[in-house]
Amino acid sequence: MENNKCRTSLQILFAAVLLLTFSFKLSAQDGANLFKKNCAVCHTTSDVKLTGPGLKGVFDRVPKPADAWLTAWILNSEKLIKSGDPYANKIYNDYSKAAMTVFEGQLTEKDVAAILSYVKSPPAPPTSSGPVANADSEATEEVRGGVEPVYLILGCIVLLNILLYTLRSVRHSMQNSANKAQGKSETPEITFFEEAKQWISGNRRIVGVISLVLVFGGMKSCWDACYQIGVYYDWKTQKGYKPSQPIKFSHKLHTDDNEIACQYCHNTVEKSRHSGIPTVNICMNCHRGITSGPVYKEKEISKIYAAAGWDKDNQKYTGKENPLKWIRVYTLPDHVYFNHSQHVVVGKLECANCHGDVKSMTVIEQKNPLTMKWCIDCHRTTQVAMEGNAYYDRLHKALKEKYAGQYDVKFTVEKIGGLECAKCHY
Amino acid sequence: MDMNYKTIKLAVAGVALTLVFASLSSCGVRDENTPGVEFMPDMYRSPSVENYGTYVIDGDTLYSAMLPVKGTIARNYLPYTYENSAAGYEAAGLNLKTPLDMAHRDIFEKDGEVLYGKFCIHCHGASGAGDGKVGLKLPGPPPAYDGALKDLSEGKIFHSITYGKNSMGPHSSQLSVEERWKLVCYVQKLQGKKEPVDSTKQVAAVATPTTAGEHSSGGHH
Repeated sequence: MENNKCRTSLQILFAAVLLLTFSFKLSAQDGANLFKKNCAVCHTTSDVKLTGPGLKGVFDRVPKPADAWLTAWILNSEKLIKSGDPYANKIYNDYSKAAMTVFEGQLTEKDVAAILSYVKSPPAPPTSSGPVANADSEATEEVRGGVEPVYLILGCIVLLNILLYTLRSVRHSMQNSANKAQGKSETPEITFFEEAKQWISGNRRIVGVISLVLVFGGMKSCWDACYQIGVYYDWKTQKGYKPSQPIKFSHKLHTDDNEIACQYCHNTVEKSRHSGIPTVNICMNCHRGITSGPVYKEKEISKIYAAAGWDKDNQKYTGKENPLKWIRVYTLPDHVYFNHSQHVVVGKLECANCHGDVKSMTVIEQKNPLTMKWCIDCHRTTQVAMEGNAYYDRLHKALKEKYAGQYDVKFTVEKIGGLECAKCHY
Repeated sequence: MDMNYKTIKLAVAGVALTLVFASLSSCGVRDENTPGVEFMPDMYRSPSVENYGTYVIDGDTLYSAMLPVKGTIARNYLPYTYENSAAGYEAAGLNLKTPLDMAHRDIFEKDGEVLYGKFCIHCHGASGAGDGKVGLKLPGPPPAYDGALKDLSEGKIFHSITYGKNSMGPHSSQLSVEERWKLVCYVQKLQGKKEPVDSTKQVAAVATPTTAGEHSSGGHH
């Protein structure tokens, strides 16, 4: 009997211990979930500040007993501030009086305890080992040779000239001393050009070949130089101007991998003639929170902070701004009028129609020549999207009446005056 | 004569050699970092100030991409009187109401959905659950519209788009006041708050200008 009782109590104890460990595990898991849902928007478990402070070491900072104070703060920070608690007021003022959400009613004390136990022992951040998978060709930076080849060639020419001059004078003095020894008279020193002339008249064929090579080579370089005129675009390979930009911004990463719409950054494309280069405040909309990229880590993103004057450690704008000097890729001469909103809103063109598959470009590249031929070709062949296009309602009706019976008429841009000179040049 | 023949042979050899060299150096190889030599720069660049240019005027370096002079008021500008503070947020939540005519709510919702796809979806996700590709990369993903934000009032939504909230940045530079209110309509739909639309009002709504019509009037000639 006694033995049996003992066994039962042992069983109960065992069950209690099991339940306790299980419930502790549960609460830690709950804590992680609750933290992510309710706190992570403003707080991290590390020492990184967001809207609110990073929570690493928070138990040592707050008034003791820490758990009780934090529970009171989390459930109703407003009440705690109004009660005149000095630390609560200090935190409130330090974080520019951004009030923390009142969680009373949303979270129970048990939930708060679960969150606190999670904050006390957050999981270790994943440590990256070995090289990053993404760090392919993008990461390798171009390393250029130290000396420009032009200076190298010029240096060689100067050196060879000096060598030639010394050798010629050495030869002349040796000839003279030989002549003296043989009792002949001194040979007069002739200039380099005279000697060259003598050599040329003696070797006409070689000189002829060399001069022919030079003439054709010159013609070839003139031909090549002509290709350097105008916008860089290779019709054969469809490769274009692709300058390196002040920030290694990847359109692929932003639009393809992260599915951000083109218009998020180029937001004036539907309202204005220009599609707009985003100002850094638009970068900061996301990069206040995203501080490290997949390839260049913090190196490139910190350039945004420098431009915006963002102090990452204190989560504040310093007011010291530096304009980012992006290099313009697509440009038209001043005597050509082009309007983005006209083409995108009324013409219903996609960005990719003119800019190519930007989603696949890590470095933005000019994908079309932007010559007049290119514009005109498109205006000749593109049919205007008139059906259900409020802009063309009246025109469409009029055209349908005018060309009634002629069913083969296609309303290309040309048909509605898209080839008039003054449409683009005025 | 024999001598002349030899000269011609040499000349032919020379030309052939040149052509070999020429073909080796492919024509028009260009540096992708330079835009090319400008043909007639006078026609390319006018003295007038263009967008995104740098100009030196009286010794001062000026950028044409600059903020307007302080105190400049744009056409149709209406001041937003609620402060960017916790108090302003609460006040907007209590007092700020949509200026849009809610009889046409379904049209605004549709316009709002298009705007949502461009300006919000990458963080807030297609269904507003906060599961967008960028949202998941943020330190804390945005709360769900039909979850923690279910009872957020229209004034608070508008205030948050205008000034930003927590991890979210201010979007007033990208979205006009009207666009922001249209977005509020769509966000309310995602909150699950869609009010039944009166069928008689729906007919009237068709006659009102949609976004497309509005923009087309802005399109140049």
